Amino acid sequence: MTFMRAYQDMVFSTAARLTGNDAHAEDIAQDVFLRAYEHFSQLRSSPTAGGWLKTVTTNLTLNYLTRYRKRWRLFSELKEHADEDSSGAPELEWEVPDTLLADLDADQRRELIDGALRQLPRHQRVAVVLYHFEELSYQDIAHKLHISLAKVKTDIRRARAALLALLAAGGLECE
Amino acid sequence: MKAERILSELTRGLPLRRAPAALELRVCRELERRAARPWWFRGFSQWPAGARASFVAICSAIIGVSIGDEAWTMLARTFSNVASAPLSWTHSTVAVLRSAYEVAALLMRVIPATWIYGGLTAGVALYMALFGLSAAAYRALYLQPSLAGDRQ
Repeated sequence: MTFMRAYQDMVFSTAARLTGNDAHAEDIAQDVFLRAYEHFSQLRSSPTAGGWLKTVTTNLTLNYLTRYRKRWRLFSELKEHADEDSSGAPELEWEVPDTLLADLDADQRRELIDGALRQLPRHQRVAVVLYHFEELSYQDIAHKLHISLAKVKTDIRRARAALLALLAAGGLECE
Repeated sequence: MKAERILSELTRGLPLRRAPAALELRVCRELERRAARPWWFRGFSQWPAGARASFVAICSAIIGVSIGDEAWTMLARTFSNVASAPLSWTHSTVAVLRSAYEVAALLMRVIPATWIYGGLTAGVALYMALFGLSAAAYRALYLQPSLAGDRQ
């Protein structure tokens, strides 16, 4: 159980940011540790156990998110393609100061960012979390989500704009 | 690129969320439940070696007995017939295709062209109507609850 205590926060955080739902994240985290238990003899002493757990968590969460929308895929993609129409639009430059949330401590900042992430549409949230938290490239995200590179860039650009607006509003409220 | 830079700085070194206290207990309970299951309820790879070997031996014996000597002979004869009459199935396929073509050509001569184009247009219109109806139902019944769920 020491193994689980060492990694459970990382696994739960990853799943919660991607799903935007704590109950689903807890189910996914349970699945991840049950899988880890099956490979425990190799993971116990492996220096890459954290990376293995992070990859499994990301993949299981993406599977979870796509499982329930598969039957609606045709219509979802019609909508997504409609969203892509403005992919050539320049990035919105918000009047956000460089010192945004600088007066908040790390925990308050984390709470505010997680709250803002939960308010994003699912496709934007997943793309921006994979880019900014999991540090995947645009290409890797497109590959993982089975969508075009242009759509990844559009989703991330819009997610950033929405997030900064939400954070700016949230930061003002905190003050 | 300003938005990317600001967001990268904000997310860098962000502390992790604490996992719920119940998570560890849930995993332990599930592991205990799985461990308490008898071996025949687990996956084949987790069966004891003796049980796996016995299972394979018994299955092989059942297959051998149920097929029997006569069936083996018949199977061998069938395979040899198939091998000795290659391409015989192609003749019947060609005949079926030729008949279908003749029937289609006859229909094209008998039915007026207006009817055919009218039928095709009606089919396409019905398909489009069904597609539009499904899209509207998706937007009305599925999309809104989904977005609301995302924002929980």
